[in-house]
Amino acid sequence: MRNSTVARGRRKLFIEVWKMKEVYILLIPAVVWYIIFAYIPIYGLTLAFKTYKANLGIFRSPWVGFENYKYVFRDPAFLESIWRTIVINAGRIVFQFPFPIILALMLNEVRVNRYKKVIQTIYTFPHFLSWVIVASIMINILNTKGMVNAIISMLGGEPVNFLGSTKLFKPLLYITENWKSAGWTMIIYLAAMAGIDTEQYEAAIIDGASRLQMMWYITLPGIKSTIEVLLILQIGNIMTQGFDQIFNLSNPATAKVGEILDMYIYRVTFLAAADFSYSTAVSLFRSVVNFIFLNVADRVSKLLGSEGLFA
Amino acid sequence: MAASKGKGLGKRIETLDVVLLIFLTFWAIVIILPFLNVIGISFASEKEYYNSMLVLIPKEATLENYKALIRDGRIWIGYRTTLLLVLIGVSLNMFLTTSMAYGLSRPNLPFRRFFVYFIVFTMMFNGGIIPLYLLMKQLNLINTLWSVILATGLNSFYLIIMRNYFLSLPQSLVESAKLDGAREWRIMVSVILPISMPIIATLTLFYAVDRWNEWFLAMIFIRKRELLTLQLALRSIVMESQGSEHFSASQTELKKFSQGMKMAAVLMTMVPIMCVFPFLQKYFVKGILIGAIKG
Repeated sequence: MRNSTVARGRRKLFIEVWKMKEVYILLIPAVVWYIIFAYIPIYGLTLAFKTYKANLGIFRSPWVGFENYKYVFRDPAFLESIWRTIVINAGRIVFQFPFPIILALMLNEVRVNRYKKVIQTIYTFPHFLSWVIVASIMINILNTKGMVNAIISMLGGEPVNFLGSTKLFKPLLYITENWKSAGWTMIIYLAAMAGIDTEQYEAAIIDGASRLQMMWYITLPGIKSTIEVLLILQIGNIMTQGFDQIFNLSNPATAKVGEILDMYIYRVTFLAAADFSYSTAVSLFRSVVNFIFLNVADRVSKLLGSEGLFA
Repeated sequence: MAASKGKGLGKRIETLDVVLLIFLTFWAIVIILPFLNVIGISFASEKEYYNSMLVLIPKEATLENYKALIRDGRIWIGYRTTLLLVLIGVSLNMFLTTSMAYGLSRPNLPFRRFFVYFIVFTMMFNGGIIPLYLLMKQLNLINTLWSVILATGLNSFYLIIMRNYFLSLPQSLVESAKLDGAREWRIMVSVILPISMPIIATLTLFYAVDRWNEWFLAMIFIRKRELLTLQLALRSIVMESQGSEHFSASQTELKKFSQGMKMAAVLMTMVPIMCVFPFLQKYFVKGILIGAIKG
């Protein structure tokens, strides 16, 4: 009896699938793409536990267990790069993360629509440029003969070597990143603000609240969940953020202070004598740490009473 | 009392408004000035650059820098490669994205959830650059444009945006087409795609900008000068050691003002983005709204 219902169920499923055969054919190209270019590389992470032999390929290279990791954790440059990554990206949370929120709060208060639109357009444009372009522009204005130094000397100051200074490198990262993408992130916050119930503001006006009070007690709490999601994502990316920027902005003088984990991986993979197993081991380690950070941040935000990222 | 209520805006201008105006305008200037500087220098002569440090509008505009850039040749190689990349790449992007997004938007498709997880999994885990590089090597695609085109074949995030768009369309359209005897492909091509032009245009633009900005994968996969992408051409022009103009002066007939040429290259790399930006602008707020929810 049971067998026949199972058989009938299978038959029914088969008929359902057969009816949709045209749809399945539509899925084939993308699924094949995913298998080859997404899933095989994921399988390729097993290289971290193998010794890569070019003639044997990813699949048939011999397993070595945690052998690679023995060397990874003995390389001081690796450990330094982790520390540097954490310091730089923690700095981003302090100096970079609040800026788009401030911009959004300010622009939200502007009541002239045309001005608002112009400002939005100007702010968002740099987001669509690659870091190669943005870095080129920054190198142009910040070099010793550039625009910024021209302004400094017009104001009677001494020219500053912005690009070659190891001390100024981190501020340079935070400011240029804000220059490029604060406007784009601002749009996300503005969208969230547009969703706040206007009745709250009306009630506040009746209660005699000032605009700053409304900003603080209504607008900011109104975008709290958006802030949290973006903060979680930022923390979750702590190990991967900033390669494009640092790769394009650093030069031999600042290379050392900018060697975050991704720069380290790039260097040991493609510039030094290539040991693909070693660098895969490093990048697998990076992914795992990232994943842990993301989950911890999500857990913490839940403990603090919000919905978290995977709600 | 009544006079202070002000006109036009319905509310009076407070100190806060002035502060906002000043700050927001200041940041807008901070963003615009570097661009003006780039444009200015690209049309300036070497003499002018060294005499006045803050070049915004050159007094004697010249095309010398652009001529030098064209003579240099790298920018053309870049344009050719990148145009090919955009043309072939975006076609493939849209083909893969649209077909799968449509398939996954059909409500009574068995194993639909499985396929969605199949995609979402790759958004959280990926092999990273090294396994991808070795895969390309094994497929013999290193040093060909196909390595970059195939590696960036599809963007899972865009795929999900498109699927959500298809899901938001009224199902009754599909049902009535079915009653008229149309089959799935027919429905997709003649019913769904024509009314999905907004999302198709949006994603085409997004993919086009992504392909236009391609440099990292190209740098890793393609080590051939003839296949330099535009961004890498720009990089190689700009990163040439500062002050090299003094050394290259020995080749007198090729004497060039390198800072001017560099800025001309920046501008030429940027112009296409500036052209599509008004369209991007039109669509991206919608896109980011979905993006803000999904992360």
